[in-house]
Formats: sequence, C-alpha cells, structure tokens
Amino acid sequence: MQAAGTEGDLVDLMRRVAAHDTKAFAELYRRTQSKLYGVVARILRRGDQSGEALQEAYVRIWEKAAEFDPAKGSPLAWMATIARNRAIDEVRRSRPVSLEELPEALEPAAEEVDPLGARDRSERLAALLDCLRGLGDDRREVVLLAYYRGLSREALARRFDKPVPTIKTWLRRGLMQLRDCLDS
Amino acid sequence: MTVSPEDDAAAAEFALGTLDSSERAALAARRLREPELDQAIRGWEERLAPLAEATPPIDPPQDYLAAIEARLKTGDASAAVVMLERRLARWRAAAIGAASLAAMLAVGFVISETRRAAAPTEFVAVLQKNAETPAFVASINVETRELTVRPLAAPPQPGKSYELWIIDDKLGAPRSLGLIGTSGVTRSPRLDPYDRAVVEAATYAVTVEPPGGSPNGAPSGPPVFVGKLVPVGP
Repeated sequence: MQAAGTEGDLVDLMRRVAAHDTKAFAELYRRTQSKLYGVVARILRRGDQSGEALQEAYVRIWEKAAEFDPAKGSPLAWMATIARNRAIDEVRRSRPVSLEELPEALEPAAEEVDPLGARDRSERLAALLDCLRGLGDDRREVVLLAYYRGLSREALARRFDKPVPTIKTWLRRGLMQLRDCLDS
Repeated sequence: MTVSPEDDAAAAEFALGTLDSSERAALAARRLREPELDQAIRGWEERLAPLAEATPPIDPPQDYLAAIEARLKTGDASAAVVMLERRLARWRAAAIGAASLAAMLAVGFVISETRRAAAPTEFVAVLQKNAETPAFVASINVETRELTVRPLAAPPQPGKSYELWIIDDKLGAPRSLGLIGTSGVTRSPRLDPYDRAVVEAATYAVTVEPPGGSPNGAPSGPPVFVGKLVPVGP
C-alpha cells in the first residue's frame, strides 16, 4: 500500500493534472489508487466491476481536475466522490437483488469501516463525525452503510427488518439533521 | 437554498446513493437543466465526502495505470477546448437519457409514417424533454439528406426561436440545422454536407435562441429537446 501523502502534495498534483501533466497524473494514481479502490470495492464487491469503476473514475478525474476547488474539500474527498458515484451508478444498474443478500462470508475480505474510530481526521471529518454521533443509532447506521457499502433502501430494509418507507424516512431525516448540525 | 424540500431530500439521497436506478437516472437528467438542483447535489456530496477519508485502503488486484492512460485524451488542454468538451459532454449525457425514450416513443409515430415511406433510408427522431412531452418529430432520409421537422407539442416561445442542431463526435461542436417552427412543417436541406453515417448516428437537439437564431453559430444554452434517429419500417 502506498501512502496517500499529505494533502498539500495532493493539491499540487491536482493542479498539475488539471494542466494535463501526465507525469503528475501517474503520481496521483500511485498515491491514491488503494484509497479509491477501497471506496469502490466495498460497494461493488466484484473484482471485475471494481476494476472497471476505478479506471472510469481516474479518467473522469483527469477530465475534471480543473473543477477541483481546494476550498471545498480535500483532493482525496473530491476524488473519492467521483469514484463513489461511478460505483453507485454501476451497483444500481446491474446488481441483481440476490447479490445484495450474499452472506458476509462470500464478500472479499474488506475491513468494515469504523469512521468513529478513525484516528487521522481532517477538521471536516471531525465535524461530520460529531454530527453523526448526534443521530440516533439506527439513523447513523443506515447513513454509514449506504455511504460505505452502497446499500440500497431495499437492502437496508432487509438488514434492519423494517419496511422500505421507514428506511427512506430514516435516511432523509438523518441527512437533514446532519445538515442542520453541520450548518450550526 | 432554492430547491423544494422534496428536491433537496432527493438530492441528499442522490449524493448518498440510495435512490433506485430510475429515480437516480431522472435526477441525473434533471440536474443537467436545473443548475439549482445540480448545486444542491454538489452541496450534499461535499457534506458527505469527508467520510471517504476514513475508508481503509484496499490494494487493487492489478496495476490499472497503463489501461487508464490509454483512455485519456491528452494534448491540447487550452481552456477553450476544455470548455467545449465539457459542454459537449453535458449535451451527450442529456441526449443519451432521452434517446432510449425517444426510441420507444418513435415506434408509435412511425406506424402511420411507414405506409408512406417504408424504405430503410427513412429515419425519425422524436425530440423531447421526456416521454410525456414530445415536442418535435424530425424525419430524415439519410440517402437524400432530406430533413423534415413537424411540431407535436412544442410550446410557442414568444420572442424566441427554436433552433435545431446536429451533434456528433466527428463534427466537434454542435452544427446548426436551422430554425424550426412550432406551427407548420419545416423542411431543410442543411444535412447535405454530412456523411450518411454521421447523420444516422448523430444526436439531434433543439435550443431556444434569440429571434432569428443563435447570434454566433453556437448554441446559447443547453438543449431543451433531444433525440436520436430510429429507422422507419421493418
């Protein structure tokens, strides 16, 4: 695993990638591939789909690097958003329902994500985690499972043994509460 | 915040990824035309993005760098080119969404047309915002390049003109096919210069322009109706 490097290094690389510097792009890829693969593989779980989503994500990062704004977040967060969107597009389009019911044992070994236990935190992550703590346990869990594992409302409904409309309400109220907390 | 609470909640779920595929596709299409909705989605993405920092890395099973580099468009990255590519990308995204709907809808219109012109050289495109609002039907003979546009339910635009464009990778920027009316049939010979293959594969889009058409030969705004050609007849 390669270290992602400091945020300042990545911001500099992003600027060079925006100018279509292929060397900088190769360096950016080397520093961030494991992080982004961690994002897409937890959602897609199938190696072929994850590899494809990763490649598409980096092509988009190359094309859109000029839109990156360091005032709005870290380069890693920006890249992860692109990678995650690719993975979610794919999982919503292609995943047969039965695959969402795969026993955990069949999934590739992926550590569960425990953001609340994360040690290295940016200020933004720390603020978001503080707000997440303020949600009820159930609302926090559905938001985190949706974010990290890409679970659909239906998959969440099965996991929590609740009707889909209840899950939708949890998600929406949880997200609104999160925003109110972040804005305050 | 200028979007409705319902749209804001949908934007939040879009960013989180919990919309189902049709809701997701619908919102993805709307954000192309609705900057406020687009902004709401970006706002939610930014709020949630720090979570990605806590994702433990997983090494990819292979090195994809060479494969990715082979897909990159390198070379001239002047601001103008980048802007143009972005604009084209938005247009294409809008067109792809509408194309499948157009294909389904066109089948219905085609039946009456078929008796008159059943040759495989006849194509039609329904130009529309969505399945409920077909605005124009473009009929094209790809051999003679004859272009005929009939209004279906295009709302009149007082003090404005509708302009039709042909969009294809091979052409670069969108090319004007002229103004189209909302009351009568419009015929245009403007497809003459284009290859048959381009005419068949292209996306057709309609923009709202100042009276008399775009002042600078480029679309002034995003397309309001789009469609792709489907063959008429068996």
